[in-house]
Amino acid sequence: MTQLLVNALIAGSLAALIAGGLALVYGVLGVFNLALGQMVLIGGYCTWWLYQVVHLPLAVSIIGGLCISAVVSWFCFEVFINPFYKRHRFLPLVTTIALSMILDGLILLFFKETPKAILPGVKNTFEVLGAHISPVQIILVLTTLCVMAVLAYVLHSTAFGRKVRAVVQHDHAAMSLGIRAPLLHRFLFIMSGVFAGLGGIYLGIDQNLTPVFAFPITIKAYAAIIAGGKGNIWGAIICAYLIALVEQLAVGVQWFGLFYIPAGYQQTVALVFIIFFLLFRPHGLFASRSRSA
Amino acid sequence: MKRLLVPLFALGILLSACSPVADDGTGPIKIGYIGPLTGDAYTYGVDTLNGAEIKVAEINAAGGINGRMIELVVEDARCTGTDAASAAQKLINVDKVVVINGGQCSGETLAVAPIAESAKIPMMSGGSTSPDVTNAGDFVFRNIPSDALAAAATASYLQENDLGIIAIITENTDFAVGFRNALIEAMGEDAVVLNEVVEPNVKDYRTLVTRLQGEEFDAFIANGQTVATVAAMVTQFRELGLDQPIFSNNAVVSPSFSEIAGEAAEGVKVVMPPSQGANAAKFDAFVETFTELHGPAASSITYAANSYDVIGVFADAIAEVGTDGTAIRDYLYNLDGYDGTIGRFSFDGNGDVIGISLELQEVQGGDFVKVGDIAVD
Repeated sequence: MTQLLVNALIAGSLAALIAGGLALVYGVLGVFNLALGQMVLIGGYCTWWLYQVVHLPLAVSIIGGLCISAVVSWFCFEVFINPFYKRHRFLPLVTTIALSMILDGLILLFFKETPKAILPGVKNTFEVLGAHISPVQIILVLTTLCVMAVLAYVLHSTAFGRKVRAVVQHDHAAMSLGIRAPLLHRFLFIMSGVFAGLGGIYLGIDQNLTPVFAFPITIKAYAAIIAGGKGNIWGAIICAYLIALVEQLAVGVQWFGLFYIPAGYQQTVALVFIIFFLLFRPHGLFASRSRSA
Repeated sequence: MKRLLVPLFALGILLSACSPVADDGTGPIKIGYIGPLTGDAYTYGVDTLNGAEIKVAEINAAGGINGRMIELVVEDARCTGTDAASAAQKLINVDKVVVINGGQCSGETLAVAPIAESAKIPMMSGGSTSPDVTNAGDFVFRNIPSDALAAAATASYLQENDLGIIAIITENTDFAVGFRNALIEAMGEDAVVLNEVVEPNVKDYRTLVTRLQGEEFDAFIANGQTVATVAAMVTQFRELGLDQPIFSNNAVVSPSFSEIAGEAAEGVKVVMPPSQGANAAKFDAFVETFTELHGPAASSITYAANSYDVIGVFADAIAEVGTDGTAIRDYLYNLDGYDGTIGRFSFDGNGDVIGISLELQEVQGGDFVKVGDIAVD
């Protein structure tokens, strides 16, 4: 049982990193970014390249990977989002699908289809309360929680955070009060790219990277932000962990002492759970709090 | 008049090039090749094409088949059925090939089979291991054993070594599910304590491995389709403190497996068609030529050797009975044995290979090495 909770923490932290960044973009810009999974992979692959091929120290590689993620997402914003999203909020849906295919191709071209791991091999695990966990995994989970805490502090206790929240609530009203909303949009999109890159590094350290992995990541992040309620960053992060926990419990627990749900339905169960919940709370699990977010 | 002659002559050449007739006994003998030269599976394509080209060059250097050169006509099918079908149409109707080496992916071979069947063009695959290929048609041959054989051999090895109770995680692809079905059929439902199918490309198996912590079993079968998924399975299995022996399938045989899985890869066992059959000297010579020309194989040298022998056995058939498709087919069914690089082999009534034994390979020090032969009944 403890092991299932640990598993959920590991899987949930990965999902929370990606969903948190996506919630910023979706909440503020109202833009669907379908190339998110590819941005995740770019962060992971670039870090792999800097660490395993260029042989830089791991910390430098991670920072380098995040910088490349930031530059790539800035470029993507200027070319694929910025010219379109003011005209119609669904236009970026099309342009980012195109972007995702281009990035897929580039990833294949540069990194080939063989899997890559930033830290290959078995991580030494130790046992806590009957659960196996490795120091690397503890660092990954704690780092994620720290990043989330910093995000919370910035959004709630700084002038910059108040501006973001103002833009979330009403774009034009915020602009009339002198907040430079377009600049903020650009910044938030780049931030979401960095969060996605962080997710990719997490993936590359904990599991491994393959080019075909992008789309499932995107779908899970969207499930989390929709269940969390539009524009609610906390909702998205909590839902990411919640979905991971539901996935673990669905397949890992013998229901009523009788049967296990087949593993093939692991992701389906979590999504069905969300749909069921939305039937009762159509605005998302945490929608009521989003006004004061 | 003289000024007219040259264009007329040119026109004549053009016309004759436009409407080739069925093989007329002169000019080069055309052999088609279909395989994945681009896309996810391109490594198999590159290796099998290189293997085929080496054999063609050797035959031509030795004077061809009864004085006629061989010309290899190459088509890319990207490991998909649709592309393979159009490639086959082109090879058969436009290029008028005599036989086809391919497809390499099982999906390619299954798509080409009905086309080759209706045109009476024999085809042979050195890479398609799907059990479905067995009954694909009368003109369909392969010189690589079916997965059903590898799964049955894995099952008998497990039972003989007191590893009778297994847990198996399967990736939901045709290949992996086929392997699982054949394995469980051979071992019986009672031998399996956990039998779960996961969606392709999932890489978090901790929930299932957590369930295994409470189970009693002798061996774990990491039955994925790609190196990435099997590597994730075995590392998470070891990370959660389980120490049972691990078996997998031939999809994982690649240098990148232990690069990703590290020490978790050590001791992982798979049943593979041998890369060194009874004809070790021939095989070694082939590996030397191949490495000299192309460096190490992109996938496994076995696939290249199979493809090399496909051309070899076709060349023998054409030398013996000529270029008629039906005659070549009958020759192959009645073949006593062909001494190829992969061993001495012939074909059964379904066009499946006979005589290729399987071997048990284990990861030792990061490489797959042979640890024993497995008899095939």
